[in-house]
Amino acid sequence: MTQAGLSGIPALLGRPYRYLRLEWSSELAMLRLRTCVKPIQCYSLAAMTELQQVLADISANPGLVKHHVMTSDVAGVFNFGGDLSLFVLLIRARDRESLKMYGRRCIDLVWWMETAAQRGVHTTVLVQGDTLGGGLESVLPFHKVIFERSAQAGFPEVLFNLFPGMGAWNFTIRKAGFAVANEMVLSGRLYTADQLYRRGLVDLVVEDGEGEAAIDHVVRSVHPRLRGTLAALQARRLAAPITYESLLAIVDQWTEAAMTLTDRDLRLMERLARAQVRKAGGAEEGAVEEIKRLELDTAWGEERSGNTGWGDESTGITEWALPR
Amino acid sequence: MQPFFPDLVIRTDEARRAFESSPVVLDAVANGMPVQRYRKFLLELYHLVWHFNPVTAAAVSRIADSHRQIRYHLYEHMQEESGHEQWVMNDLEAVGVTPQDTRAYPPCADTLALCGYNYWVADRGNPCSVLGMIYALEVIASVYGGPFASAVKESLLLEGERGVSFIGSHATMDVVHMAGLRTVLNTLTDSASRDAIVESTLVNFHHITRIFESV
Repeated sequence: MTQAGLSGIPALLGRPYRYLRLEWSSELAMLRLRTCVKPIQCYSLAAMTELQQVLADISANPGLVKHHVMTSDVAGVFNFGGDLSLFVLLIRARDRESLKMYGRRCIDLVWWMETAAQRGVHTTVLVQGDTLGGGLESVLPFHKVIFERSAQAGFPEVLFNLFPGMGAWNFTIRKAGFAVANEMVLSGRLYTADQLYRRGLVDLVVEDGEGEAAIDHVVRSVHPRLRGTLAALQARRLAAPITYESLLAIVDQWTEAAMTLTDRDLRLMERLARAQVRKAGGAEEGAVEEIKRLELDTAWGEERSGNTGWGDESTGITEWALPR
Repeated sequence: MQPFFPDLVIRTDEARRAFESSPVVLDAVANGMPVQRYRKFLLELYHLVWHFNPVTAAAVSRIADSHRQIRYHLYEHMQEESGHEQWVMNDLEAVGVTPQDTRAYPPCADTLALCGYNYWVADRGNPCSVLGMIYALEVIASVYGGPFASAVKESLLLEGERGVSFIGSHATMDVVHMAGLRTVLNTLTDSASRDAIVESTLVNFHHITRIFESV
């Protein structure tokens, strides 16, 4: 029994979440999780605590949830990733331990997704807006990743001398190979849904507004083959293993790198953090536009030359600066 | 037992985020302020800075011997902050407010409420609460102070540090202060002091947000 004597679905759905909305479909044994983190749609400490609680509840009721689906309730934003102003605070306080603790909390969420098949749960995520840094990292471990066509994503951390440390390397290498991981992490570029699909990071791209139907399609097509699919996904983990230890080791490295950031780096991080807030406040422009402005000559040399190594694809920040 | 600093960060994180995402704060940090609003902001700030050391002294006088490390930290901090109200006054002069007008300015209800709360907990509550006031002020200064000072300088075409000497210098100084504050907060193991500091931090973030909004 959990939560004041309740168990099963009532326990799962009965908690008073502030940043999450849960829906249950008994027909498909599907738990739908919608995120709406206030004031900024990012992985704040409070939001991660709630997410962890949901996942703990699923684990505490084995066999109950067969499909876990995650979406965002915030228009135009899936997730901005890490709480950048918290990073600035902790780095300025020289608080290595709290930064590491934050990173480890992220890893625990990522690890749950990575081991979901073992728990009998198939996971699907729909991205309908911007997803940056940790937001993209949180998407990659899902079994099925759906993007609506206007969604855009990337790892901008290198712009402020950091790197994405919560699974980006591991999951990008597994899904798209070393070259793509290298390109994405080291360039800081942003990518369209189609570009991510071509690189193998996204499983399905649908037109804007068709994401919901795509979720239904994916879940209904997996459902009759669920046991086989989950068994195959578990075997996939053996074929291309990602270990908790390696994720933790990278978080530790990320922490050390974060502690070396200079005031200039932190100012850039602050600019992005403020841009996140602007978008949360309803402004047209947000972090994505700010990243465009943060173009650094070294980072974008390849873009300007038009040589991306992906045929005639001359996209990225520069292209997105044009009116769409 | 978890060190207190991360515990404090977690327990007050939403209040910090509420501060930073207040539309008024957001706009001020991004675009600065018109001169009338900046004057009003500095006049309110003058009051807070003027009362900082008396509040801290009131708290220090009641801190038990068992928490002597807190006392020593606060002695040093008071020494460093001593006279900084003059910096605010200088900044006010740079934007056209005379010292006489500064001294005569009646602070808004939110500023009075914040000062009143800080005196009250120092005098009647757990004196370690003062660390909550300091934490909130240092977070604001070290995380948001630098961009705010730059934005104000740009929007008001101020030269050098004129008009932003207090905010600009505290943005830098409080980076050092923050590391020291973390060290001293991590020495606290009693839950009464910890809870009092959390409450004080929440109240300080709340009122400072309101003060920003009121100007």
